[in-house]
Amino acid sequence: MNWALKPDEIRNEIKLLAYIGRRISIAVMILFGSTFITYNLEAYAGDPIAGLAESTVQNKWYLIHKLTRELQLDVPPPARYFLWLKGVLAGLTGNLDLGLTRKSHSVAQEIAAAIPVTIRLLTTSTILAIVLGITIGVISAIRQYSRLDYSLTFVAFLMFSLPIFWVAVLLKQFMAIGFNNYLEKPNLDLLWVFLTAAAFAFVLTGFVSGTRKRVLITFGSSFVIFSSILFIINQTKWVLNPTLGVYVIGLLGVGIAFGMTYVFVGLQNRKALYAALTSVGVAVLMYFPFQTIVNQNANFGLLVVVALLMLSVSYFIGYFFTKIDKGPVIQASMLTAFLTSFLVVVDKILQSWKPYMNTPAVAGRPIQTLGPSNSLLVTTDFWMQNLDIITHIALPTMALTLIGFSGYVRYTRGSLLEVLNMDYIRTARAKGLGEREVILRHAFRNAMIPLTTLVAYDIAGILGGAIITESVFGWHGMGSLFNEAIQNQDLKLLMGTFAITAFLAVMATLAADLIYTALDPRIRIGKK
Amino acid sequence: MAKKKDKSELEQQTVVGENAIANRETEGLSQGQIIRRRFFAHKPAVAGLIFMILFTIFVYSASGIHLGTEKHPFNISGWWHYNILQITTNIPCAPLSGCPTAAHPFGQDEIGHDYFALVTRGAEISLMVMVVIGSLGGFFGTVMGAVSGFFGGWIDAIMMRFTDFIITIPAILIGAVIGFRVGNLGVFTLALFLGFFSWTGLARLVRGEFLTLREREFVDAARVAGASNRRIIFKHILPNAVGVIIVSVTLLLASSILTEAGLSYLGFGVQAPDVSLGLLINQYQDSFQVAPWLFWWPGATIIAITLSINFIGDGLRDAFDPRQRRRIKRKDFALEAAKSRPGK
Repeated sequence: MNWALKPDEIRNEIKLLAYIGRRISIAVMILFGSTFITYNLEAYAGDPIAGLAESTVQNKWYLIHKLTRELQLDVPPPARYFLWLKGVLAGLTGNLDLGLTRKSHSVAQEIAAAIPVTIRLLTTSTILAIVLGITIGVISAIRQYSRLDYSLTFVAFLMFSLPIFWVAVLLKQFMAIGFNNYLEKPNLDLLWVFLTAAAFAFVLTGFVSGTRKRVLITFGSSFVIFSSILFIINQTKWVLNPTLGVYVIGLLGVGIAFGMTYVFVGLQNRKALYAALTSVGVAVLMYFPFQTIVNQNANFGLLVVVALLMLSVSYFIGYFFTKIDKGPVIQASMLTAFLTSFLVVVDKILQSWKPYMNTPAVAGRPIQTLGPSNSLLVTTDFWMQNLDIITHIALPTMALTLIGFSGYVRYTRGSLLEVLNMDYIRTARAKGLGEREVILRHAFRNAMIPLTTLVAYDIAGILGGAIITESVFGWHGMGSLFNEAIQNQDLKLLMGTFAITAFLAVMATLAADLIYTALDPRIRIGKK
Repeated sequence: MAKKKDKSELEQQTVVGENAIANRETEGLSQGQIIRRRFFAHKPAVAGLIFMILFTIFVYSASGIHLGTEKHPFNISGWWHYNILQITTNIPCAPLSGCPTAAHPFGQDEIGHDYFALVTRGAEISLMVMVVIGSLGGFFGTVMGAVSGFFGGWIDAIMMRFTDFIITIPAILIGAVIGFRVGNLGVFTLALFLGFFSWTGLARLVRGEFLTLREREFVDAARVAGASNRRIIFKHILPNAVGVIIVSVTLLLASSILTEAGLSYLGFGVQAPDVSLGLLINQYQDSFQVAPWLFWWPGATIIAITLSINFIGDGLRDAFDPRQRRRIKRKDFALEAAKSRPGK
């Protein structure tokens, strides 16, 4: 192998480095400008002592004097900005000073406390929105102008048009209060069973295309299946002790294996199917250590180790089952193994549902609408702690995902349709490639390039927090810190949170541009 | 050999057939006619457009038009007999809040304001904010993007970095400074300032479009013919970029309604005694169980407006984008192939 770079390549590398250096210096300038403007806007917008000056307290002048000294109000805002900046730049030498909030807490500590909360709140929903949105967008584009496409488009537009605070109130009402009420007396009327089943069947029918007869058959059979499942759940009061058990996990795993094989290579590829089914077998075997060994001393590190183990085992399963074109088979079997072992973990968490419901802190009303965790819950059980986190995070995650995924649906659909109209796709089809290869290997990758910008912004936006969602669901993250800072005219708190958000936004722009250049060979840096 | 010839002939026919179907829809029509025709074929978009027209008329005629100064007022009274400040004291279903009656179809709030008047006022504000932000954002975005993309070089670099700078300033801060802090300057001022900061996305899009279009042959041709920069921008490039602009402005319209509602919900937007849909939802989110109508109506109004604007945007995208051709149905294709078969 030839490791030496040609002169041309070296020149390109230097060009790229120079470009990155230039962009970073510009980013620093932008950050300076936007923090300066924000500081002055906020400082001139409101007078923190105005409220005090009108009050009639005895020691009013003393208080005003004290506040003036604390907030350095005797320094004009443009100059005061540099005092703040000095504290920030001291961070380069390790003693960052973001000042104190109005309540005399350290801003840096407040932010350090808020960041994990915000990351916990937004990571799941961002990932879910991206994965769901891209999947649905691809399906919608492949079946362009079908009934499925129309229904998905309508759903995406509806979600796009919803104000999140409104959704949040509805979720609180129906998913939390309604569901908790149902858990108290888990006995649905037969009428409701049929109505719910009909609604599910209707949604599912939106997904099939074809003749009227086929649609009616789908609706009828799915209605029967859904209503019998609901009936069984209702009769056995499954929601009070919702565990899956090893057989159901195995059955679902086989379903996943068939589905993944169908999506990645097609069911006619028997080798791939066997590889996926073997992965399911290995993953289901994990069920048993989870009941005994893992049960006692579980933590996140162990879960990560298990996940990596499953992925590597299924990688080799996929690798050894096939001789040619291993890539998609390996992908299918890895995804199958991952999802099946995920089911095992879900089952393990659900096993603590019943004891969780019976603890006095929960008292039979598990779905919570406020805060990130139940402070009254006393438990050392890893699974129950996680269940508590899940019951708290469920509603905000649902709201954020519903609002966030529709943008991805629209962008993915548009981008994939544009790519599918290109000549090289026609070439691929003309070569005789199947539709699956054309879409997964030729079209999908290129269609994803424009989405990098969106993904970069969303991931950078995680730390910015979700102001409205955090305020509705009572989470004390970055968004609510920002909100609080504005409400209380807390300039230093505002600047602390704003600096982080602005920094990440600028970095996201840079990262998006660089990733874009790396992925799309048609764009070259420095080329006019 | 003969087989091969057959195959190529067939291919040729297929291509001819495909073009014929694609062209049949558009033969003999001007660009504007094609766009209009495609737009009106998009049913949800047309429904959205009709709804928006009727809704605007309905909302503005309900409360009437009140313009002019205090000394010289210009008033046209509307057909609805209550305004947002009027209080009717006999409230049914008190003490919580008035349920819908014949006199107050949307019910009353706990003081006795007519809720229909409040919701229509909120809808008026939403529409006004939408138009102000849309037109300001559209104008600035187009100008910035066009100048940046057309001239390139250092002008482009400076303007794009300026755009990056504006992007970092969040809407909530502007809302806080304008709506919440500096006296109460009213909704219109808030909308103006939000408009000054909402052109960034459009500017980037327009710039990208101009960067591609200025390399095209027709621009070279115009330049060789002696056209000035202004002429090239306005007469040659802008008409080609207008599709992107219109589509993205409709999306801006929809998102500006949600921005205003969100700001008002947090208390940074419209301030009492004026009302906004976001403010109403914030006030009545807890009365969901006792007076659900107070919660449903403002939410449903926001969704109706944004949804129809989004559908109009989708219709415009379909109409303007020649790359996303309408799919040719297999039936059409068979028909066309049958017609163009040689010997018939």
